[in-house]
Amino acid sequence: MMNTLKASGVGASINRVEGRLKVRGMAKYATEFPVENKAFAQGINSTIAKGEIIAIDSSEAEGLDGVLAVITYKNAEKLNHLEEEMPLLATTTIAPVLQSAKVNYYGEYVGVVVAETFEQAQYAARLVKFEYKEDPDPTIRFDESKSKAYKPKGNSDYLRGDMEAGLAEADETLDATYITPIEHHHPMELHAIIASWENGKVTAYSSQQMVNESTIAIADTFQIPKKDVRVITPFVGGGFGSKLNTERHVILAIMASKLLGRPVQMTVTRQQMFTNTGMRQQNEQRMQLGAKMDGSLTALSHDTLSHTSTYQEYQEPCGMISKMLYQVPNNQITYRLIPMNFQTPFAMRAPGEATGSFALESAMDEMAWKLKMDPVDFRIKNDTQIDLGADKPFSSRLLIECLRIGADKFGWENRSMQPRSKQEGNWLIGYGVSAASRNSPYQESSSKVILELENEKVYATVQMDATDIGTGSYTIIAQTASEYLGVPVAQVTVELGDSRFPITPGSGGSWGAASYCNGARAACQNAIDTLKQNKNIGKDQDIPVAELLKQNKLKKYEAEGSAAPSEAFKKHSVFSFGANFSEVWVDKHTGMYRIKRMVNVASAGNILNPKTAYGQIIGGLTMGVGMVLSEQTRVEPNFGNFITRSLADYHVPVNLDMANIEVIFLPEEDKIANEMGVKGIGELGITSVAASVANAIFNATGKRMRHLPITPEKLIEAQVEPGVVA
Amino acid sequence: MRPFTYTGAKNTEEALQAASSNANAHYLGGGTNLIDLMKEDVERPDELINVASLGYKKVSSNEKGGLTLGGMLSNSETANHREVRTHFPLLSMAMLSAATGQLRNMATNGGNLLQRTRCPYFYETSMPCNKRAPGTGCGAKNGMNALHAIFGWSEACVAVHPSDMCVALAAIGATVEVRQSDGSPRMIEFIDFHRLPGDRPEKDTNLMPGELITAIHLPQPIFSKHYYYLKVRERSSYAFALVSVAAGLEIQGGRITKAGLAMGGVSHKPWKLIQVENYLSGKTPDQANFEAAAELAMKEARPLEGNKYKVEMGKKSIISALTQAYERKA
Ligand SMILES: Cc1cc2nc3c(=O)[nH]c(=O)nc-3n(C[C@H](O)[C@H](O)[C@H](O)COP(=O)(O)OP(=O)(O)OC[C@H]3O[C@@H](n4cnc5c(N)ncnc54)[C@H](O)[C@@H]3O)c2cc1C
Ligand code: SF4
Repeated sequence: MMNTLKASGVGASINRVEGRLKVRGMAKYATEFPVENKAFAQGINSTIAKGEIIAIDSSEAEGLDGVLAVITYKNAEKLNHLEEEMPLLATTTIAPVLQSAKVNYYGEYVGVVVAETFEQAQYAARLVKFEYKEDPDPTIRFDESKSKAYKPKGNSDYLRGDMEAGLAEADETLDATYITPIEHHHPMELHAIIASWENGKVTAYSSQQMVNESTIAIADTFQIPKKDVRVITPFVGGGFGSKLNTERHVILAIMASKLLGRPVQMTVTRQQMFTNTGMRQQNEQRMQLGAKMDGSLTALSHDTLSHTSTYQEYQEPCGMISKMLYQVPNNQITYRLIPMNFQTPFAMRAPGEATGSFALESAMDEMAWKLKMDPVDFRIKNDTQIDLGADKPFSSRLLIECLRIGADKFGWENRSMQPRSKQEGNWLIGYGVSAASRNSPYQESSSKVILELENEKVYATVQMDATDIGTGSYTIIAQTASEYLGVPVAQVTVELGDSRFPITPGSGGSWGAASYCNGARAACQNAIDTLKQNKNIGKDQDIPVAELLKQNKLKKYEAEGSAAPSEAFKKHSVFSFGANFSEVWVDKHTGMYRIKRMVNVASAGNILNPKTAYGQIIGGLTMGVGMVLSEQTRVEPNFGNFITRSLADYHVPVNLDMANIEVIFLPEEDKIANEMGVKGIGELGITSVAASVANAIFNATGKRMRHLPITPEKLIEAQVEPGVVA
Repeated sequence: MRPFTYTGAKNTEEALQAASSNANAHYLGGGTNLIDLMKEDVERPDELINVASLGYKKVSSNEKGGLTLGGMLSNSETANHREVRTHFPLLSMAMLSAATGQLRNMATNGGNLLQRTRCPYFYETSMPCNKRAPGTGCGAKNGMNALHAIFGWSEACVAVHPSDMCVALAAIGATVEVRQSDGSPRMIEFIDFHRLPGDRPEKDTNLMPGELITAIHLPQPIFSKHYYYLKVRERSSYAFALVSVAAGLEIQGGRITKAGLAMGGVSHKPWKLIQVENYLSGKTPDQANFEAAAELAMKEARPLEGNKYKVEMGKKSIISALTQAYERKA
């Protein structure tokens, strides 16, 4: 009995429960549902960055075999519109589309063709001709548009102490600017939907990270009751933030279905994934640091300049990490945004931390070098157990332990502080470190459990509108039910991704695991407690659930439950922490480099399943490597389109780019975080990888690389920093 | 995709016949480039003539004492062929650095020679591009040209040829055998196969309409001991070269008796450095001579606004490739 439990309950390293479905191709993704009589839609994109449509000729497209409709702003139904000026983009924001002749950016949807087949729709979409009146002065060049920057309403500036005084009192100061480029999410599964509008009700098989939010966005856009919208998304082939909100293709497909009276399937092409889903905008982060010779920080400011669209606001919170990570009395965080003629950016792969940590943790390395202090010691020196930005204690913070244990495992003592001191043939070898942190924003989450007694065994079904975006939600929820019901995982079925199930916060921001599992726990505990209560059995009495059902004379029993952040949670800052160590070999001729190995230490609370947790960390590290190595979307300087337009040009890392990776989870019990002590892991792995590698490159070459990605051409052009012996 | 017809030619004559009777027809090799371009609406043939099943899939010895590579043999089978690996390891190394295993399995040798530029303007039909749509202008020249040419470009086009295989073929020296429309063979020296853009950038090669590539002839085995293909790119596989160098050396009695040197990612055609090859011949294989060779190679470089880095990268890559070729332990 004990053994079966240990082999499948919380903490067990079991395989994915949905793994067999996936490898046999039986896990159904959005467009794989057998919906009868569906038509296919293909979006058409604008070919100017700013202006107005003055004429549309769809006659050729309409004359083609199989074409059912060409929808443009001229014949599109009127939808709800964004009320205020520059409203914030959020996960429930409406997505009106084809509502006017105005063009806001290159690649914006200007029409959609619906046809009997996918091929007909794609072909016809190319034949619709648009004539534009171009605005001669679109805002497409970041560097030349800085004077247009405004103070965003989404993130307020922050000041603690007095920056000037802090810098004045410092022995060493640093003033450096770090640039990260436009990046795109590019989950493997394209954004896609099969939409049906029937008798005023919507059914959407749509690849989404957040089910409830999507029903709200759809209902609001069409101004119908939320209860009339059903979103189904049991499997999601990755999202990375791009599927948090409801994108415009969802609305287009529903609109087309309503018009035609039949289901419509629409897939956003890989090329359109650059223009018709979110992205990460370019960030310019200016860091000013002051420190005493003993290593104590006296001042830290983090000023971020980014861009948003011309019609909506999104601000990546890059400075967030500089507010909380270190003990520094004088601290300033600011944000400015340039409205530009691109789509609205949105949360991508550890928004805030991924990019913010590149700036902060690079700057920390630069300062350590100025102080001639070991960068691990420098971070430890500035540790804090209080989140000074929020003025709350951390629920638990093991950053020092992460750094120490990582340094030990990595062999950090073999690092020489002097760059360029380790060489082998063509290769310059360097070691780098960075600290990582990621907010663990646990949220209210509900679920339902259905217990069925069959041949002395209890089979449990857990339902919630949670999503599994490839992360392992099914598995850890099954493990939770197994743990709290006392039945093996093999007897647990988990059903997710349907708006008919109890509400959860969905997958995003690394809150999924903690929220889902506590929700499942609550339902299971409610079931057991009620079954005991009914029979006046003491709460603490250990009776198998099968026995409880029998005593209650029940073959089947259902219970719901929900869990939410406690008062203690609200009084604390709850974060996961980590440290990343990397060894990088740089070819001194060509500027190509190899990340030879990485040690990543994480303190992320209770590890529900070491296997899925490991998968999350290495996935995160890979994204971090992508950031530093190659990922960038280039803007055409004269026309304003993205000329990085497929996965042949948008380079994500390949297997060969990935290092030997050692992942270590520190044991951490944090009951303030939530009852199960679960914290976020998903985005922790991404955070700080770029800085760790950039710092290793400095140690190897003496070149300070402040502009991502760090490509061979940049390394060749960069100069060795003053003070480094070349 | 636009509608098109598919012709599964049974033999060479049928293929040539089909091609000469339809100016809008394209031969189909592995389709790894052509089909992509059709999906992007860049290539718009109304007929595909499949030539991948016509034979021409062998590696055989030729009368010059070298090897003949079938035009329809896959890149994988060519690069991994024992004779090719033994006698032309430079070619093998270059080919294996290209694309991915899956793509190399599909791609044919003929198709590789004719793959088109990866210039992003060429791929995006809403952009100006003289190569795709003559007369519309060159978007890259005054736009994003970081990935473009430093040698031999014209005002009309600054694109580069993307093939790795072709860079090695240029260093080694090869002859391309084609069948003309009437079925008769024609031989084209490899350095004359691709062309510079001039004012006709829509023409990548000197192939005549309807000509079918059937073989690539290699000379007597060369550079089988001292060779290196250096490909500079930002990730370790599945990326085109920013700059590449194919370097081969024959060394006797401590002196270079023959050098083969060509660059990729720098010009509209595989860039054979004949002057530098001649310079190195008779010299000792040392750092000073390699550096001088690199300087000489880059003397005529004319970088664009966005690709100045290629000059320095090119120099260092030549030095590195020559050094690694020389130091290679057989
Ligand atoms: C994502 C990606 C990455 C890549 N990376 C690299 C790389 O790093 N390095 C590299 O070198 N290449 C790379 N390639 C390109 C690849 O090598 C070419 O696509 C391939 O070699 C083309 O061969 P194919 O047989 O598929 O040609 P096809 O696509 O079939 O044909 C290409 C052209 O050649 C013509 N053609 C084909 N065969 C003949 C013939 N026998 N006679 C006359 N005309 C013919 C066709 O009509 C067509 O115009 C990459 C490709 C992709 C898609
Ligand atoms: S460089 Fe050549 S291929 Fe590129 S835009 Fe100019 S003409 Fe077209």
